[in-house]
Amino acid sequence: MVSDMTVQTISVNQDVLAAKKQRATEQRERFTAQGTFVVNLVSSPGAGKTSLLQATAKHWAGRFQTGVLVGDLATDRDAERLRPWFPVEQLTTGGACHLELSLVQQGLSRLPQQPYEFLFIENIGNLVCPASHDLGEHLRVVVLSTTEGDDKPGKYPKMFRTSQLMVISKCDLLPYVPFKVDAAIKDARLIQPDMFSIQTSAVHDEGLNDWCLFLENARTEMLSSRDSAAARNITAELPSELR
Amino acid sequence: MHEESLVRSLLHQVEELARQHHATEVEDIEVEIGPLSGVESLLVQEAFERLKDGCKWPNCTLTITPVGLMVFCNQCSEESELFDFQFICTHCGSTSLRILSGDAFRLLNVRMQIESAG
Repeated sequence: MVSDMTVQTISVNQDVLAAKKQRATEQRERFTAQGTFVVNLVSSPGAGKTSLLQATAKHWAGRFQTGVLVGDLATDRDAERLRPWFPVEQLTTGGACHLELSLVQQGLSRLPQQPYEFLFIENIGNLVCPASHDLGEHLRVVVLSTTEGDDKPGKYPKMFRTSQLMVISKCDLLPYVPFKVDAAIKDARLIQPDMFSIQTSAVHDEGLNDWCLFLENARTEMLSSRDSAAARNITAELPSELR
Repeated sequence: MHEESLVRSLLHQVEELARQHHATEVEDIEVEIGPLSGVESLLVQEAFERLKDGCKWPNCTLTITPVGLMVFCNQCSEESELFDFQFICTHCGSTSLRILSGDAFRLLNVRMQIESAG
């Protein structure tokens, strides 16, 4: 027997992140099954993600069982700010520019008082890398603060394309900054035509009602589509004469 | 930047594929990068050069095939290529579009040497 070498080209044609996306889909299904609505909060550093969560806690005043995972390169300062309000776990990436599902799952295993009605994942402040990573969330919210400029959506297309809701934060500063709300919304909708938008001021408790209502409605929708899918499955299992 | 972690994932997948095919050498890895893939070609190439020394095939090359951002219009059923990330159909102006290509970092082909008994 003579051994011979052949050169072969194997066709794969698959997203490099396909396996990770599949794991994220499975995690999302587990969240859905336990009734936990998961929000992935993304923004540049200092846009006000933590302040938005503090204001959310005050607004809800304990109405919903809520947990928070908060990602940062270093320190647990954000977790400390949120600890009076929520069970919170700090995810410290040690330099990584984005959160990945494995890190989220690790943090989740340390969070007490589960299951939650809402879980917020506060991502690393970065409008680039987190866009590519599905964390098993139901809703991706991009927070854009009025001090950053209304031209950001066009500059970070992937982040805005993959988000469903844009929260324009620090709206109390609008009289002092050259930020046009309409321009930001128009720019975002060129990339993501279905983008919802809400204007908030966490320090003045403005827009919190809209924001909280949006989340509550989105969770109700998640639960009803889960339950109707379950009902469909039960019907499908019935013998045809009983259907 | 996250290119390094994505290239590491890529190399793991290629290693697994090479193992399945009993490859003795991987000669070339071809990937596709589009405008909305979330990675930068130059940084992917640099990360690959850094990481391939630590893998089993230090002579392996990386071929990056650029791909345009192609969309399908749900309104008029035409395809368009978008050049400026403005999601508007170039044929009918609708914003109801589905992305066909250009939004992912994809592994296309792996060329490898395979030992075959003859």
